[in-house]
Amino acid sequence: MPKLSLMFDNKIVKEVSVGTRPVTIGRSPDNDIPVDNLAVSNHHAKVYFEAGRMVVEDLDSLNGTFVNDLRVERATLHDGDNIHIGKHRIKVDTSGDAPIPWDSGRKTAAPRIDETMVLDTKERRQMLQQAAAMGESMQFAGARMKVPTLVVLNGNTDQKEYVLTNKLTVIGKSPMATVRLKGWFKPQMAAQINHRDDGFYLGPGDKVPTVNGNPISGPLRLNDGDLVEVSGVRLNFIFRE
Amino acid sequence: MRIVSGGVTDQGRVRTNNEDCYQIVEPLHLFVLSDGMGGEAHGEIASAIAVETVVKHCLDIEANPAARVVGAAEPNWSARTKRLSTAVHLANRNIFKSAEENPDQRGMGATLTAAWVDGAKLSIAHVGDSRAYLLRGGSLLQLTRDHSLVAEQVRRGILTAAEAEESDMQSVLLRALGAQAEIEVDAEEHTLFPRDALLLCSDGLTRVVTEPEIAGTLQAETDPAQAAGKLVALANERGGPDNITVVIARFEKEPKGWFSWLRSGARKNPDSNGSAGGN
Repeated sequence: MPKLSLMFDNKIVKEVSVGTRPVTIGRSPDNDIPVDNLAVSNHHAKVYFEAGRMVVEDLDSLNGTFVNDLRVERATLHDGDNIHIGKHRIKVDTSGDAPIPWDSGRKTAAPRIDETMVLDTKERRQMLQQAAAMGESMQFAGARMKVPTLVVLNGNTDQKEYVLTNKLTVIGKSPMATVRLKGWFKPQMAAQINHRDDGFYLGPGDKVPTVNGNPISGPLRLNDGDLVEVSGVRLNFIFRE
Repeated sequence: MRIVSGGVTDQGRVRTNNEDCYQIVEPLHLFVLSDGMGGEAHGEIASAIAVETVVKHCLDIEANPAARVVGAAEPNWSARTKRLSTAVHLANRNIFKSAEENPDQRGMGATLTAAWVDGAKLSIAHVGDSRAYLLRGGSLLQLTRDHSLVAEQVRRGILTAAEAEESDMQSVLLRALGAQAEIEVDAEEHTLFPRDALLLCSDGLTRVVTEPEIAGTLQAETDPAQAAGKLVALANERGGPDNITVVIARFEKEPKGWFSWLRSGARKNPDSNGSAGGN
């Protein structure tokens, strides 16, 4: 298992392995790695695995999280990296990562690429790290959590505001709809919003919605601030900070 | 919800055997699809173990409703979703164990995509690069994420979708059943609406047939088995480079009330209140 070692004066104070759950670091005693120092925020940072790589994320701490002396909001960790929080250093060890060697007997021959194959943990880590290094700058830009929200401007709905947490959101009269329309002659499913990898797409249901006054001709990606109108309801799509 | 379903599996035009496997358990509204890999006939063994294990564990829900949950589960998941996810973990163990016990099977593995419907609730569990799609109001949405290297690279912005289609690394999976003793299973829940259509398929379809074509076929052909057959035929027309499997389920409102009672009476169809069977 990959692990984090809390160091102080070059001595290991505490070791924590990083598994499927995030490891939290901070001054408050409910953290996985509690650090009792006034320069450390109550919930300072967390470390977790995302798509095969270890990531540290600063939780809006006052004095910041540093990886190898660079202040970061979020960064991929590599073996031997040092995270600095206050006066403390946390050593990163990702070497214990390959839990089960798989199919090692066959690996001498080059894999036939038209046959489906599975990467074992080590190969996978290398390829993803290369990939991660290239994609890093983009990941940084999107690091701030933005909450996709529909704000009801007018029309009769069961709430004034909806946070889009699901992959599939339905706007309609149906009791199963996320955005429930009230009133006579409203369609069960007026329109839908689907969360795809690259954004939120508005699609037709029984009605064709408009975006900023223009009827959509098919699934349309919503931008921050778009005005959506369907079945007599006006909604504002925004990303809340 | 009234469900009609059907499925087709085909060897394709290049492969000499069919390592895909699917099963529809109509009374349970359970749909399971697996694409096997591994030399000799071992991919067939892996996908068969995968489908059989998942179906068996789900069928057991009545006899043994409080079975232990295996693997990570979100606390807010329904009992069905937990059970389906557990079933996929068990399938992984069974394939892994079989390969450990039979050295000639080493290296075999399988994808698994399963859907289980309970009223309006849809549970999905998934590992690998087979896919589940939902067609709703003309929009086709891929519910599952491919656990393949190229898909991961697209998600990270390193490859464009077009580059990924040209990549010679398309067959490299990051996750599959049987590769490791324990794995991570993707599971999620959705609410179904009348007129939704669910499609499960192996990568033999999606390598050569586009999403607009899938959506178009689902809209044009409402009979699930016919639509699945058409999609398989289209993949074969494009060279059928791999085994192709398509499973389709359509959801309709349960007919009720005096109007539909009158209509069903007029049609003298005693079956119209039950769920129609697929094949």
